[in-house]
Amino acid sequence: MTFDEPEPNPTADHILEWLEGSLSYFPSFFDDPYDARDFSADSWWVQTQCLDQEPINNSPASFNNSITTTATNATTTKPMDSIVSNQLLPPDLPKKRKLPDDLNPNISQSSRKNQNPRIHEADVGGAVTGQGVPPRRTAANKKTTGKSAVSNNIGNNKEGSWAEQLLYPCAAAVTARNPSRVQHFLYVLQDLSSLTGDANHRLAAHGLEALKHHLSYPGISSAPAGSTTFASSNPKFFRDSLIKFNDINPWFRIPNNVANTSILQILAEQDCSSSLHILDIGVSHGVQWPTLLEELTRRSGGPPPLVRLTVVTPTGDNNQSKSTPFANGPPNYDFSFQLLGFAKAININLQINRLENIPLQSLNSQVINSSAEETLVVCAQFSLHNLNHNIPDDRTEFLRVLRSMEPKGVVLSENNIDCSCNNCGDFATGFSRRVEYLWRFLDSTSVAYKGRESDERRMMEAEAAKALTNVGEMNERKEKWCERLRNAGFIGELFGEETIDGARALLRKYDSNWEIRTEERDYCVCLWWKGKPVSFCSLWKIDQKPCDS
Amino acid sequence: MVMGLDFSGYSYSTTTTSTEGDQGCNWNDWSPVVDWEALSGDQEDFHYLIDSMMDENVVLHQPVRSIHEGYNRLSPDTMMTDEESNSTEDSKGLRQPVRSIHEGYNRLSPDTMMTDEESNSTEDSKGLRLIHLLMAAAEALTGANKCRELARVILVRLKELVSPLDGTNMERLAAYFAEALEGLLDGAGGGGGGKKLLGGGKEEHHHQTDVLAAFQLLQDMSPYVKFGHFTANQAIIEAVAHDRRVHIVDYDIMEGIQWASLMQALVSRKDGPPTPHLRITALSRGGSGRRSFCTVQETGRRLTAFAASIGQPFSFHQCRLDADETFKPSSLKLVRGEALVINCMLHLPHFSYRASDSIASFLTGSKTLNPRLITLVEEEMGPTGETGFMGRFMDSLHHYSAVYDSLEAGFPMQGRARALVERVFLGPRISGSLARIYRARSEGDVCSWGTWLAMVGFRPINISFANHCQAKLLLGLYDDGYRVEELSNNKLVLGWKSRRLLSASIWSSQDSDL
Repeated sequence: MTFDEPEPNPTADHILEWLEGSLSYFPSFFDDPYDARDFSADSWWVQTQCLDQEPINNSPASFNNSITTTATNATTTKPMDSIVSNQLLPPDLPKKRKLPDDLNPNISQSSRKNQNPRIHEADVGGAVTGQGVPPRRTAANKKTTGKSAVSNNIGNNKEGSWAEQLLYPCAAAVTARNPSRVQHFLYVLQDLSSLTGDANHRLAAHGLEALKHHLSYPGISSAPAGSTTFASSNPKFFRDSLIKFNDINPWFRIPNNVANTSILQILAEQDCSSSLHILDIGVSHGVQWPTLLEELTRRSGGPPPLVRLTVVTPTGDNNQSKSTPFANGPPNYDFSFQLLGFAKAININLQINRLENIPLQSLNSQVINSSAEETLVVCAQFSLHNLNHNIPDDRTEFLRVLRSMEPKGVVLSENNIDCSCNNCGDFATGFSRRVEYLWRFLDSTSVAYKGRESDERRMMEAEAAKALTNVGEMNERKEKWCERLRNAGFIGELFGEETIDGARALLRKYDSNWEIRTEERDYCVCLWWKGKPVSFCSLWKIDQKPCDS
Repeated sequence: MVMGLDFSGYSYSTTTTSTEGDQGCNWNDWSPVVDWEALSGDQEDFHYLIDSMMDENVVLHQPVRSIHEGYNRLSPDTMMTDEESNSTEDSKGLRQPVRSIHEGYNRLSPDTMMTDEESNSTEDSKGLRLIHLLMAAAEALTGANKCRELARVILVRLKELVSPLDGTNMERLAAYFAEALEGLLDGAGGGGGGKKLLGGGKEEHHHQTDVLAAFQLLQDMSPYVKFGHFTANQAIIEAVAHDRRVHIVDYDIMEGIQWASLMQALVSRKDGPPTPHLRITALSRGGSGRRSFCTVQETGRRLTAFAASIGQPFSFHQCRLDADETFKPSSLKLVRGEALVINCMLHLPHFSYRASDSIASFLTGSKTLNPRLITLVEEEMGPTGETGFMGRFMDSLHHYSAVYDSLEAGFPMQGRARALVERVFLGPRISGSLARIYRARSEGDVCSWGTWLAMVGFRPINISFANHCQAKLLLGLYDDGYRVEELSNNKLVLGWKSRRLLSASIWSSQDSDL
């Protein structure tokens, strides 16, 4: 229809009336230039009223009645309940909380491996603690641990940490240089993070801080600002917290325990009259030694004539070592005095020597003042991962230094995870590994504290969270460590039965999601949390066949 | 009569120019998820980004007057780069007139004024947060790294932040979207056993009087319903100008309000031919819902009575669809000499979604009847190429944000009225929308029904100038943010600012012109 056609638009009038009529509904808003004149449609609605009196009426005839004042016929107020009730769906259908099985093939897979029907349910239903614990490994399923670990990883991952599902893609976006996506995740993390929420909210909070830090100061390690860490707490609080933590979370307790019984095992092989010299390169801050001293008094031949403890404290000369989790206690913390007092009380001749500000690489027999007559045992816990492992390869170098000191045994405990340094992967890869590490810590710690908030818990978590901002070289899988030690002239030593049994017995007092797995191949004792590896302990002796010198 | 009206005060411009003013805030340029624009920035960008996170004012210092604008803030240009201030300045300039209108209206409401001046920046930042949370929830539900636990956590958080019953426009909208996503989360895994969301089943829970009140309010507050009806009716009147008998087959008659106005138009043609006989066949469905047999019958009665009262020769029929809502042309009674019109109102805000199979069967079946005219009103989808759940999710969020904004802009003080419309119509529609795109997330492109009609061989019919003018006249009675554009010769599109919302198009299956 063209413009020129003479036919007028016949609807215009009515459209206007129609519009005016309806617009008059809000006269307060429109300065009513339109009066609520006769709204043509009203006549139509009024007609309707008559129809309403017919018996089968069950229509929306009260339409106008309910909202305009023009319709006054009382009969139209007949309620429309017949329709309404007919079409009502059942109210409040029960909501489906459980994921159906088929949605999560990974979980099904992993549970098949676990041969435990409960696990499947627990995983799927989202129950995290209490049930669905993988059965404690016994000798019978040792061989399968490697594989089931992998599938467990996937299954638990899906169920476990939603915060990881925000942190990983965010880190990936950082690596992909995609600011808008980074910003998106930062917004979401911001909204879901809380340092006092559940473990996931905490992970989100620490992760967010770390991401912000990285984006502001890429490549620079730092301790989290504002929160209390080991180094910024007071010595007494620090020590009490650490002891309490060890009491409820086996994170350090099991490695400490394995180290102590290993030292006893080494000592038992030596002449009763030789003195014991322990080189303490670790993060136990002295709390593991009273137990050892006590054990020494119970030895059949009595305690060694002399027990020497040489403690290597972190040099603390750079950001890098300051940001290593758990390594740095409060500046004026020194456990020597108390430990000496304790030794005196139980009649042990203890000497403590602290080596301050001496880099690991410059240690040697003279520096630690060891002699051939004593039984030297090196106890390295969660410290050596701090050494460069690429170029220069300080790690291997240091292991050679250790060998040159000719210890009777070396106990090595380390985080059993891949390296997160820049040489071993891009930011996203490294960050994800650090987050993985922290998640296990936060999750197990949350269980340990039964979800309760405390200053102690906050400090422990803030200390662990340093792992996220520590950009240094960190961690290696136990296979790599073992390879290194072998290359440096060490040979793996089987833990004694009492060591493993003792550790297992000790673990029973902790949450049932913890387990100890042993592998015959490399003699390691591994600590697992919810089917994921956390740390390993290993015992080494000098390989008498000269290997590469 | 329309011709006689004075258009001088009314800028009758072509569609292209009328929308140009909005290009400064072009949503279409931003494809948020499918194609994240990787800015080739160095660490500087990240620096800026962090600064802005820490000091929210940097990003959010500009008050966002509407959800609609809030989205545009999400564009990488305005959020991420150092040019931020510039580009915002620019778009602000372009949008100045719109803003002043907004402000003008806001003056009317003391509430809004206070909001404007005092709490804008917190409101803005909350709006952005909500959008990010919604996006993240949708992605957790469907994305590559699906994590239902994450989706759940985000939705819990959203529920802490917003409620459908109060708060700003953006907050209420976010609440409905969160509810819809929760529906997907709860029902989606059930392998078909979940809530059936097709028809936006929730709507049936509302009390009938609420539904009717909400419908009236929607009619009064926005041009959406009338735009569809009037454009279709005008096309019908023009198409059957010389016919003695007219037969309209209506796919979804609802309360039949469209036909009351058509009858009035037909009887009041002054110089034209005598009033034709009008026959309406309404399709009805089984069940007891709003489109059940009884409801349609009641509509028929009302229309019959109304026709009688104004002297319109009229008859009413029903044609029941099959159980699966398939249309059989053979079940239709046709009379020789009648001009056949097919009327297909699809996505008016108060309508339920219809299964596309049913719509397809109706339109395909109609073709065999060789109708004089087909009138089609449907929802406009966002920029083509937005495939996948995330793209369509964001499109849907944008669509409803425009609808919410438009309702608020027109009636800033009618908060309770809007809340009713939202609860009764828009909330369920959002749920239905998301459920549809969730189920279709593996499918490729979805074309509009108009495109579909063209593909199956229907012929577009030109929209008359009068019809176009009528639409403009209609919109002139509402907020200035509404626009009508003639997207092609046979299609008028109703939009809010830069967002196209609803289109009316007319078609024929007959070869000859009228």
